[in-house]
Amino acid sequence: MRRIKSSIVDGVGFDLLLVGIPLVFLILFSGLPLLYNVLMSFQEVDLFSLGDVFRPFVGLDNYRALLAQPEFWPIMWNTVIFVTCSIGGQFLLGFALAVFFNTGFRGSTFIRGLFLVSWVMPGLVVGATWNWILAGDFGVLNYILDSLGLISKNIFWRSDIDYSLWAVVITNIWLGTAFNMILLSVGLAGIPKDLYEAASLDGATAFQQFWTITVPMMRSTTGAVICLGLIFTLQQFDLFAAITSGGPANSSNVAQYWAWELSFRQYDFARGAAISTIMIAFVMIASVFYVRSTRHEVRG
Amino acid sequence: MTQNLQIELTGVDKHYGGFHALKDINLSIPNGSFVALVGPSGCGKSTLLRSIAGLESITGGVMKITDEVVNDMPPRRRDVAMVFQSYALYPHMKVIDNLTYSLRLKKTPKAQARKMAEEVAATIGLETLLDRYPRELSGGQRQRVAMGRAIVRRPKVFLFDEPLSNLDASLRVHMRKEIRALHDRLGATSVYVTHDQIEAMTMADHVVVLRAGVIEQQGAPLDLYDRPASKFVAGFIGSPAMNFIPGRTNGDGTSVDLALDGQPTLRLGRPAAANQDVIVGLRPEHLSMASTGDNNFAVRVGVIESTGSTTYVGAGDRNDITVVLSDRRNISVGDRVQLAIDPDKVHLFDPITEAAL
Repeated sequence: MRRIKSSIVDGVGFDLLLVGIPLVFLILFSGLPLLYNVLMSFQEVDLFSLGDVFRPFVGLDNYRALLAQPEFWPIMWNTVIFVTCSIGGQFLLGFALAVFFNTGFRGSTFIRGLFLVSWVMPGLVVGATWNWILAGDFGVLNYILDSLGLISKNIFWRSDIDYSLWAVVITNIWLGTAFNMILLSVGLAGIPKDLYEAASLDGATAFQQFWTITVPMMRSTTGAVICLGLIFTLQQFDLFAAITSGGPANSSNVAQYWAWELSFRQYDFARGAAISTIMIAFVMIASVFYVRSTRHEVRG
Repeated sequence: MTQNLQIELTGVDKHYGGFHALKDINLSIPNGSFVALVGPSGCGKSTLLRSIAGLESITGGVMKITDEVVNDMPPRRRDVAMVFQSYALYPHMKVIDNLTYSLRLKKTPKAQARKMAEEVAATIGLETLLDRYPRELSGGQRQRVAMGRAIVRRPKVFLFDEPLSNLDASLRVHMRKEIRALHDRLGATSVYVTHDQIEAMTMADHVVVLRAGVIEQQGAPLDLYDRPASKFVAGFIGSPAMNFIPGRTNGDGTSVDLALDGQPTLRLGRPAAANQDVIVGLRPEHLSMASTGDNNFAVRVGVIESTGSTTYVGAGDRNDITVVLSDRRNISVGDRVQLAIDPDKVHLFDPITEAAL
């Protein structure tokens, strides 16, 4: 006992303790539910067997049933559009803002801090706010587009099947841009200033410096930000609940929202779990890239 | 007509907000010369170099490079190359790509750029390292890459910002010679910033001593050593530093009484004003230990540091009089010894203005 105690106070035991506490937490609250979800996707689940762990095994039947549903592929395609456009928009805007604030003008750090407000707000609140902006009759977005002469009649963003998904994408870009900007700002701040000075003496214009110094030096940060963006975007649920509820006619439905609908609206827990399992696979792939990109950081 | 003047600064001023970093700098650097800017930290030497590079803008005066006013010219158009203290190598590029970066920007054909880089690499011993990344190189190798990146451009002017300060002592001595040899071979103008007066003395044709943004004195290295214009330059140039002892000239100005025990008197090489308070400057290497003879004074030995070839003796009441002896003496702490000096090698400075008298 004394040896264990002294190991925790002085030696390797302390390291194990530090690793152990989060590990136990992760296994208990993330690992086990995740495994339970995967297990459930191969079982026949009904309301009477909800409390059981071991239920009739049905193999890939749940997956087959999902694929057979006519909305499966449209919803998957929506998910792809939602994820790529959200990440693309968040990253490009975030990068532009990060470069802008990195010029270090007076008050830049303060204003950059204010941008984080969007990231701090709950998704449901953001959704409710954007419902007003997106409103077809009196929304500010339509007013601006109309004033600029870009549209001739109001767009009903939330109820038009051609626009409903884009309503959520626009809101999600607004929500995630600040987070991208902060991570990218950290990366930009890590690029030594003298590299730009050396490049300017070597004859590089500001544009050439951006492409030959900034972009390659930001590669690992970019990889990390995009991988994290993929994970967060696949988790984005609140905005769908607040803005379109996946409708109309599944036109803005995505995998994560559909999984919730199946499980907690239709009480088809097996199919909900099957979709979640498919998403776990994608997130795992993203995680591998994330871990790799943080490991391959370029150091001076 | 001033074609042989490479860089010409006239009345250059630089303000950082309320801070006056460079004050009325006048400096002419002839084509092909090696000029050292030297001074303690914060004296403005790096600011001056960065102003020549165009990395800092000047707030007043005229700066010319080969007869062209460059006050508002961006760095990339000045045709100057700089070796940074941090080396500033591009960490995401291999050595060869670091070397060819400027050539690629100028759209030099790839094969030709590679050939030029390989030639430069061969002259500075980098040919085996071309495919490595900077992080895989030692400090000395990185330093060479930084030099190679400057050389490959064949610029009008090389600027060096304390390039050797991150190297260990022996490599520093070696690179000192190598940079000077390279300068002689390339024949381009070099401006070299250092806080190390030995680097300035050994490498440069022309040394500029800066203090608090002002040029305190400039000239050939030995001129500064032999005829320092002020107590500051006298104390800065030369190692170990010059000894300063308060004193007073006597009635006819041909000798000076030192404010030491027994008020010893030293004869002067050339007469000074009579009955005047002065600061007497004696270089440690000009003092010799003589038991007899004239022009000497007695001090008590406090510290003896022997390096084998050289012995440093700290003497006087506060051990603040340094003597450098190149031979070994049988002396020990507590001895009273006689120090002698050639009258021509006694420097006098005004105690208030610190100007040489």
